[in-house]
Amino acid sequence: MKVPAVEMKSSCPLAPWLVSLVFMIGTLGLTLPAFGQEAEGFAAAKLPAPFQAEQVEAGKRVYFTKCVWCHGVNGSGDGPGADRLWPRPRNFNSGTFKIRHTASGELPLIEVDLLQTVTHGLPGSAMPSWEGILSEEQRKNVLAFVTTELVQDRSWQDEEFEELNVLQLETLTPIPPTPESVLRGSELVVENKCIECHGLEGRGDGNAFNLKNDWGFPIQPADWHKCWNFRGSRQDAYNVKNIFRTFSTGINGTPMPSFADNMTIEDRWHIANYVQSLCERDKDIDIAGGKVTEEIATALTTAQPRGIDPLTDKPKVNFVIPSKFVEGELPTDEFDERWYDERWKKEGRRIIAMGGQITHKPRNFVNRIDDIWVQSVYNETHVTLMFRWDDRSKSVLEDEVDWDPYEVNLEDYGIEEQAPGGSKFDDDPFHQDSIAAKQVSYQVFNDALAFQMPIKYQELPAPRKPRYFWGDEGFPVDIVKWTADGNLLAYEGTGWDQDLEDRDDFTEQIKLVKAEWKEGRWTVIISRPLKADYEEDAYIELGKYIPINFFVWDGHNGDVGRKMGVSAFYYLVLEPPIPAEAKWYAGLAAVGLVIVEGWILTRRSNRRKAQGTS
Amino acid sequence: MEWIQFKLIEGYMPMQMISELVICILFFSICNSLLKRAGIGVPKFWAGILVWSFIILYLKYRIYPPIPFSVRAIYGTVSAFGIFMWVSGSQEEWDEFKRPIINVLDAKTGFTKVLRMALLVLLPIGLGGFAYNSLLPSFAEPIELRTVHPAPPATTKVHGKTYVLQTAQQPYRIDTAGKYDPEYSNAHIVDQAMGRLMKDVNSSEDNPWDPNAKGYIKHVREGGEIFFQNCHFCHGDNLNGRGLWAFAFNPIPANFTDAGTIAQLQETFVFWRVAKGGIGLPTEGFPWASVMPPWEQHLTVDEIWKVVMFEYWHTGYYPRTWD
Repeated sequence: MKVPAVEMKSSCPLAPWLVSLVFMIGTLGLTLPAFGQEAEGFAAAKLPAPFQAEQVEAGKRVYFTKCVWCHGVNGSGDGPGADRLWPRPRNFNSGTFKIRHTASGELPLIEVDLLQTVTHGLPGSAMPSWEGILSEEQRKNVLAFVTTELVQDRSWQDEEFEELNVLQLETLTPIPPTPESVLRGSELVVENKCIECHGLEGRGDGNAFNLKNDWGFPIQPADWHKCWNFRGSRQDAYNVKNIFRTFSTGINGTPMPSFADNMTIEDRWHIANYVQSLCERDKDIDIAGGKVTEEIATALTTAQPRGIDPLTDKPKVNFVIPSKFVEGELPTDEFDERWYDERWKKEGRRIIAMGGQITHKPRNFVNRIDDIWVQSVYNETHVTLMFRWDDRSKSVLEDEVDWDPYEVNLEDYGIEEQAPGGSKFDDDPFHQDSIAAKQVSYQVFNDALAFQMPIKYQELPAPRKPRYFWGDEGFPVDIVKWTADGNLLAYEGTGWDQDLEDRDDFTEQIKLVKAEWKEGRWTVIISRPLKADYEEDAYIELGKYIPINFFVWDGHNGDVGRKMGVSAFYYLVLEPPIPAEAKWYAGLAAVGLVIVEGWILTRRSNRRKAQGTS
Repeated sequence: MEWIQFKLIEGYMPMQMISELVICILFFSICNSLLKRAGIGVPKFWAGILVWSFIILYLKYRIYPPIPFSVRAIYGTVSAFGIFMWVSGSQEEWDEFKRPIINVLDAKTGFTKVLRMALLVLLPIGLGGFAYNSLLPSFAEPIELRTVHPAPPATTKVHGKTYVLQTAQQPYRIDTAGKYDPEYSNAHIVDQAMGRLMKDVNSSEDNPWDPNAKGYIKHVREGGEIFFQNCHFCHGDNLNGRGLWAFAFNPIPANFTDAGTIAQLQETFVFWRVAKGGIGLPTEGFPWASVMPPWEQHLTVDEIWKVVMFEYWHTGYYPRTWD
C-alpha cells in the first residue's frame, strides 16, 4: 500500500517544499529556520503520532457542520463566506499557521497551538471561540481531520523534512513590567525596526499598505493599542506571555519574523512588556511619538488594564457618555488638564464600538475602524466632544468627485458593495474579486466622522428614538459631520436614503476646534452651542439622556456615503452640579438613625428593668 | 480564583445557576450539621448572615452578564425573608438567633460595650454616607425593555407578492422526490447533542456538502452559503448572536441556538422578520435601534426561505407549526 505514495512523491519531486522554502526565505528575510539548532528558550520535540482513522472521521463530521462555510471543502480557505472577509479564512493546504509555540517556519503543535486557536478563536478575524459550543473532544477531532486531510503540502509525520523546536514558555519567568523594562523595550523596538511596520507609537501605521501574506493578500501590521484584537491573545488580552510567544516564534505566512535567533530572552521580555503596556488602559497616556521617558514609562506601568467583556472579548462598553462642567473657555486640545482631572474618577473617555454598516446597500463588510473614543465637557454656552480613534492612514480626497457632500445614494455613481463570490471561485487561487485582494486598491476618499442627535428629543415618548441611521420622517436628526478635507457641516437627516439637508445657519455655529492625524491616530475636537434653534437642532439640556450615535469613514477603505462604520445609540448626559440638598438629607438620615438607636436602647433597658422587678 | 473563571454555559445558564446555589446551600447545611455534631455548631445568627451574604455575593459576582441592582435587591429581600423564616422556626431557635443582638444591646461585658459604642457611632455615619451617595445625580445606563417577538402582521408583501403568514409554506422543505415533507426535513436536522453536528457526514441526506445531496439538504447548503455571506457578521459563525460586530450593537443580535428564539416561532414569522428587518418591526420592537437589514433589499424571496431553513437545520430546531 505504501508504494504508490512513495512513487507519487518521487514523481513530483519536492515541488511544494521548494515553494514553501522560497516563501520562507523571501518573506521572513531575517531568519531562516535553523534546522537542528535551537534558538534561546526553545527545545526540540518529537513529531506527533498520526491520528486514528476514527478520530479523523469524527472530525470530518465537525468540519462539514461548522468549518466548511468559511474554510471550504478542500480547506483552501475558499468557503462561501471567504470573499467578504478580511483577513481571509486560513488556507490549510500549505500547513502555514500563524500562532504557534514552534520556531519560525515550522508546523504548529496540534494539541497546543491549534487547539488553543479553535478554543479561543482569533480575535480581529471572523474566527470565533468554539469553547462551550464544541466539546474538547470534538475540537480535537476536527484538528485530526484538518491536519490529516486538509494540510496537503506538509505532514506532521514527515521525519525527513519536519522538526519541532518548541518555545518553553511555561519554564521561562517573565521579567516584571517595571518602568525600566518598558523604557528598554521602547528603545529596542526602534533598534529592531519594529516601528517600521508598527509605527512610532505602535498603532500599525508604519508600512501599512505594502505588506502581503504568502498568498499575496494585503495584510496590515498589528495595532499595539488594541491587544484584544491580537490574533494570539487567547482570550487573555493583557497577558504579556502571548506577546512574548508571537515575538519569539513569528507569524508564519506573514512578514512578521521571529526574533528568537537574534535577540536574548531578556530583551524579548522587555519588548513584550513595552508592547503590552501600550494596550489601552484606564488612562490615555501620550507616548510622545515613541520617545518614552522615565515619566511616561512610570505612567504606562501604573495605569490599569481595561475591563474586558467575557461575552465579546472586547473592552466593556458603557452606553452613557458623561459630560462634565468646566469653568471658562472650553479645552482647545487633547492636552488640557481638565480632560483628566480627578472628577472623572477612573477616566472620562468612553469607548464606542463600531460595526460595519450592513443594513442598507452598499454594505461595508470590512470596517477598519472598530472603535472610537469619546469624551465631553461643557460650559455655560457650549458643549465640546473630543473624538480620538486609530486609523493607519490619513485619507484626504484628492480627486474631484461627481457628487455633492449632502448626497447619500452613491450607487448611482458606482459606489458598490462587495459581491458575495464564494465557492464558485474554487479554481481561482488569487481570488482577485475578493474583498481581501482589493484592500489596497480602493479609490481614496475622505476620512470622516459624524454624530447625530434627535431634534426635539424632549418630545419623544421614551424610549422612542429616531432611526439610528440618519433619522426618519417623523423624527428628524441633527447631524454634525466632519471630513478630513477640513469641512465641518451641519445637516438634517430624515432617513437612510434621503439626501441630507444642508443647514448653513447651524454650520456657522458649530466649530472645529482641532483635527489632527498623528502617528496613526485622529484627534478631532468639535464644539457646538448648547441651545440654538429648538425647532431644528438638538436642544441640549442638563441632566437629560440625549440619544446620540456615531458614524466613521476610513478613506483608504473606500468608505464614502453609506459605506462606513456605525455605532449603536449611546446617551450623552451633561452632568449637573451636585445639589446642595444632598448634604442636608444625608445629615438628616444620620440624625434620624441616632434617634431610633436611642429609642431602641431606652426600650431595651426599660424592659430589663421590668424583668428585674418582676 | 480559578473557580470564578468556570464559565456559565450558554443556554443552560438558569438551570446551572439554580443548581449551583442549591448545591452550595446543601453543602452549607451539611457542614453545619457536622459541626453541630462535633459540638462546635455555628450560631444561628452568624449562619443566617453567612448564607445571606453568600447569596448576595453570588448574584453580584458570579452571574454574567451582571444583573441590575434593583433585581439583586429583590432577590436579596426574598432570600432575607427565607432566612428569617428559617431562623424563627421555633421559639428556641428565634431566641438563639436574637441572643447576639440582645447581648450587644445589653452590653454586659467589656467587649460588647465597645462593640455597642462602635455600632452606635458607625451606623449613622454609614447611613448618612449611603444617603449622600444615593442623592448624588447618577447616570446609569437606562434599562429599556423591548418585545423580542412582537405580534406579526397577518400578511407581508415581499418583492411584490403578498404572503399570508398563516398559510404561507416553506417551498424548500421537500424530500428527495421534491414533495413538501416537514417530517422528512425534521429527520435530517443536526443532532441536538453537544456540538449540534450533522447526523451522518457520509449520508447524502444529512450532509449538505455531499455531492449527491438532493431536495431539503441541498437547499440547506444554499441557505448556509447565504448565511455565511450575509448574516454571520452579526449572528455569528455558530448562529449564537456573537458575530464580529455583536458588541457594537444594542440590542445584541439574536441567538438562534437559544431555545427562546427561532425554536419558539413559526417559519413564516421568521420569513417576515428576515424580509422586513429591524425597520419593519412594530414600535414595541424598537425599530429605530435595530440594524437588522430588511433583507428584501439584498436577497430574493427564495434566498430568504433557504436561509431561514438553514437556521433551523444548523441549530437543530423544528419550526413551530399551527397544530
